[in-house]
Amino acid sequence: MLDTRQRMDARFEALLVRADIEDFNNAYCAALDAQQLEEWTGFFTEDAFYSVISRENAEAGYPVGLIHCEGRGMIRDRAFALLKTAMFGPRYLRHMVSNLAVDAPDASGAIRARANYIVFEVLTDRPDARILQVGQFRDVFRHVDGALKLAERRCVYDNLLVPTALCIPV
Amino acid sequence: MAFQPAVSRAALAEDQAVGVRLGDKEVALFLLRDEVFATHGVCTHALAFLKDGFVEGGEVECPLHQGRFDIRSGRALCAPLTRDLPTYAVEMRGDMVWVDLDQPGRVSAPAPVASKAEVGTTSVVVLGAGQAAAAAIRAMRGAGFGGTITLVGEEPHLPYERPPLSKEALLDDAAAHADCLTDDEAAALAVTPLLSRRAVGLDAVAKRVTLSDGTVLGYDAVLLATGGRARRLSVPGAHLPGVLHLRTREDAADIAAALRRARRVVVVGGGFIGLELASAARRLDLAVTVLEQAPEIMARLLPAPLGRAFRHLAQRHSVEVRTRIAVSGIERQGAALLVAAGAERFEADAVLVGIGLEPEVDLAQQAGCSLLAGGVRVDVEGRTSVAGIWAAGDCAAHPHAIGGRALRLESWQNAEDTGAAAGRSIAGAAAAPARAPWFWSDQFGVNIQMLGVPHATDRVARSGQVYFTVDAGGSVTAVTAFGNAGAIRAARTAMTLPDDVEWLTDAEEDRMDTHAETRGLSLSRRYVWPAEGLTRIPDWVYTDQWIYEREVERIFKGRTWNYVALESEVAHPGDFIRSHVGPVPVVVSRAEDGSINVFENRCSHRAAEFCRDLRGTVKEFVCPYHQWTYDLKGNLQGVPFRRGVAGKGGMPADFRNEHHGPRRLNVTTHRGAVFASYAQDMESVQDYLGPEILREFEATFDGRKLVVLGHYRHTLPGNWKLYHENLKDPYHATLLHTFLVAFGLLVAGNKSLMLADASGRHGVMCSAKSDPSKIAAEDKKEMRAYHEGMRLHDPRIMDFIDEFDSPWSVTMATIWPNLIVQREMNTLGIRQIVPTGPNEFIMKWTMFGFEGDTPEMTAHRLRQGNLMGPSGFLGLEDNEAMKFVQDGMLRVPEGEHYVGLDPATPTGTSETLISESAIRGMYSHWREVMGI
Repeated sequence: MLDTRQRMDARFEALLVRADIEDFNNAYCAALDAQQLEEWTGFFTEDAFYSVISRENAEAGYPVGLIHCEGRGMIRDRAFALLKTAMFGPRYLRHMVSNLAVDAPDASGAIRARANYIVFEVLTDRPDARILQVGQFRDVFRHVDGALKLAERRCVYDNLLVPTALCIPV
Repeated sequence: MAFQPAVSRAALAEDQAVGVRLGDKEVALFLLRDEVFATHGVCTHALAFLKDGFVEGGEVECPLHQGRFDIRSGRALCAPLTRDLPTYAVEMRGDMVWVDLDQPGRVSAPAPVASKAEVGTTSVVVLGAGQAAAAAIRAMRGAGFGGTITLVGEEPHLPYERPPLSKEALLDDAAAHADCLTDDEAAALAVTPLLSRRAVGLDAVAKRVTLSDGTVLGYDAVLLATGGRARRLSVPGAHLPGVLHLRTREDAADIAAALRRARRVVVVGGGFIGLELASAARRLDLAVTVLEQAPEIMARLLPAPLGRAFRHLAQRHSVEVRTRIAVSGIERQGAALLVAAGAERFEADAVLVGIGLEPEVDLAQQAGCSLLAGGVRVDVEGRTSVAGIWAAGDCAAHPHAIGGRALRLESWQNAEDTGAAAGRSIAGAAAAPARAPWFWSDQFGVNIQMLGVPHATDRVARSGQVYFTVDAGGSVTAVTAFGNAGAIRAARTAMTLPDDVEWLTDAEEDRMDTHAETRGLSLSRRYVWPAEGLTRIPDWVYTDQWIYEREVERIFKGRTWNYVALESEVAHPGDFIRSHVGPVPVVVSRAEDGSINVFENRCSHRAAEFCRDLRGTVKEFVCPYHQWTYDLKGNLQGVPFRRGVAGKGGMPADFRNEHHGPRRLNVTTHRGAVFASYAQDMESVQDYLGPEILREFEATFDGRKLVVLGHYRHTLPGNWKLYHENLKDPYHATLLHTFLVAFGLLVAGNKSLMLADASGRHGVMCSAKSDPSKIAAEDKKEMRAYHEGMRLHDPRIMDFIDEFDSPWSVTMATIWPNLIVQREMNTLGIRQIVPTGPNEFIMKWTMFGFEGDTPEMTAHRLRQGNLMGPSGFLGLEDNEAMKFVQDGMLRVPEGEHYVGLDPATPTGTSETLISESAIRGMYSHWREVMGI
């Protein structure tokens, strides 16, 4: 009986974590879709690593990413630069996340997860929403003061060619 | 003198011509009913070999213009021939045919008719010394006229043929001038030539002609063979040197000389002369634009579908043909002529005018002759309405020349036939039967012949390349054959419509080449550089497909070194990467012998782009379609079933692998970078860069071994040159890149240099990082975005670790045509431009560090990498700005850019950031290479 109960608890626990991560990703995407970049920086731990890297580089073992942030300071600088200094044409983005896979927490409580994403971009001069990126989040989550945060998010995109520029993070 | 062996008897056959060369003479041999005849081997009309002719019924027909000669006598039997063919004596010795070039053949042309009965006419004056005049003189003498013949001509020459003037005479000085009447012939025919003077008065009552030099000639009969003058363009500037008309031998010599100096010509008038001039200019590889004011070329003479056939032929040969466009003026701009037409300007080195002929009828009018259709009205014998006056050739019009229509024909045959008819009439001989009008033109390597006279309102039917014009009553008025002399031969017998014709409508058919109008070598039309010079750059430089294609040929595939790889990407034998030279995909591979090879990524069998992986290691390349294999140097190694199976199929016996490999490029390396060139005789990369650019290149590629850290790849919807310009434009750096300024990395007062090489094609934008606290207040004011006290949460991105032997912390080298070397403090990268069209290119970045970098140094380079690339703080702004520029040109087209900063430095190196001199220098080079 007890075994079944424990197994049930573990499954509940996993479902809750998964639900938390889904909620997290939804909120994360909502912040980016709204171009609330300061809010976006709040999804990361202080020592977080964030990068947007091509699948070509990732698979070849090359570290270069379109965006490469070591620590939340760089993430905040990125948000600041995009909001205050960067010049780019007006656009809307829509982030879609699916196929979430969540591993069991490791000994330290860190949770590895993966999810597929698509980012649509709508520019002012075309009727269509083009696919800006399609790829996979390769994540490590940690709880900080009870809240889920990203300790690592590698956005590995499949499309070899970036159309013009990636202005808003993924 | 001497018989010599010519050919074996067995080589001859009935109805076949055989050509041999004896000494310096071409000889044609024929077998006719078992008897051998020899004639000169070249047609007496134009340069064509009779061995290529058509033999039938004892006659040989010249392959070019269908003149026929009698094989036995050499007699010229029809137009366009005027002279007989020399014949040679033949002897059979055993199996060999022997020929004596000094003896005529056994059957010679009959001697001219001896003097016939007196007809009351003893003195004839022929006014005008052209082809009709020569024909008339021959006919008069041929008919036995024994009186005096005086030939008055305005030109200094005896009659000569004009058709070659718009054709071979323009291309080859040495091309023999075709005389209608040589000095010897004139003497033999007892003609008194009075050349270089014109008749100014004709008194039909007193029967007197007055010449421009005061001479007065009495006559019994006068022939007006005055032809006409090339119609002059009557717009401002038509008199300028370089605006050329064609009528005389001297005109042709002027045009030939102008064509040899020209790059671009404008032809005014889309008629036969205009198109023949265009054809000659294209033979010389010039850019040609034909301007025609009618809706279709040749609209005055031909129905639209037939005119269209001529236009398509020209367009297929890269002539830009513009219709419905009237020239309104010509002016000189520098060395060039600007032809104004509508709202457009066409630039040219020579303007060739072919807008028709104005018949010379002043004398006829003086004498009271009736006119018709712009010419002198004549009857079938050439008689005008005034007794004693005949007219022939271009200036004469017969009321019922064709199908009862009054027509003035301007053709070789018309001059010949009407001249001869008038000559016979003057001599009192009976008229010869009239022949169907016939005309030929040579355009773009195609011989076009027309039998009959089409009318502009005829319907047009087509069978292959033969066009039939049909009048309202259903009769065929003319047959026009493009490169099909057989069709004309058949039409001489019966002008009928074949069963399989396709009726053409006036509406445009689908074009073979939808780009023809924009692609044609239309240098002269839209490619006029603004008069202000290099401070203006017209939009077509960035948006035009034809300009782009020319750039691929002249720049990327021209005398340039194109970056293709870093050596470390193909470190070991068998390693390869896909790369590009211009838009052309290439494979870069290292062979077993350590050499680096670059070859086109296109299977020589069926064109498949056979190497599909971005990078890898292989022993050989295999095209997946039919398994053709290539070695690491791009040599074709194996072809499956080359010998076929069981003795059947397979490649031709003479197939050689070495003749079928993909194109291999010239390759060189410098400091770890690999360059390729289509030019096999390129100077070294060091010489190509020049000493100043080389110094900066070597400051970045300082000899340490390169380590690839990864790539960025992006498309950019802008012209590829904008990328060079962006990095030859230091002006933008402090204005667009607010981030740089906000954090004090670059300000207008920084120590900086915009370096350009001597040619203008390469450049390096250099700056030295300064301490933000030392920026002068006035400099700050100019920069809208400078925020004092702005701080980064992680300022390491701005650290500069001085690792280079250079006074500059930032250098951006633009190395023509496809390479940018970025040294933005410690983030290092190669940017390779791959153009895909005028409006877009792909940029491939290869970020690198050096062997021996500490992990912290690599991490620093990666952090600093956030400045650059398609998401870089600076990089994304550059990409966006270039898109905006292209958008602006595409959506508000036909404009020009203004790049006038720093007039004190017209082109080249500038020490201030507020300068566009390097952009101007680049266009100075670009225009030279592009010929624009």
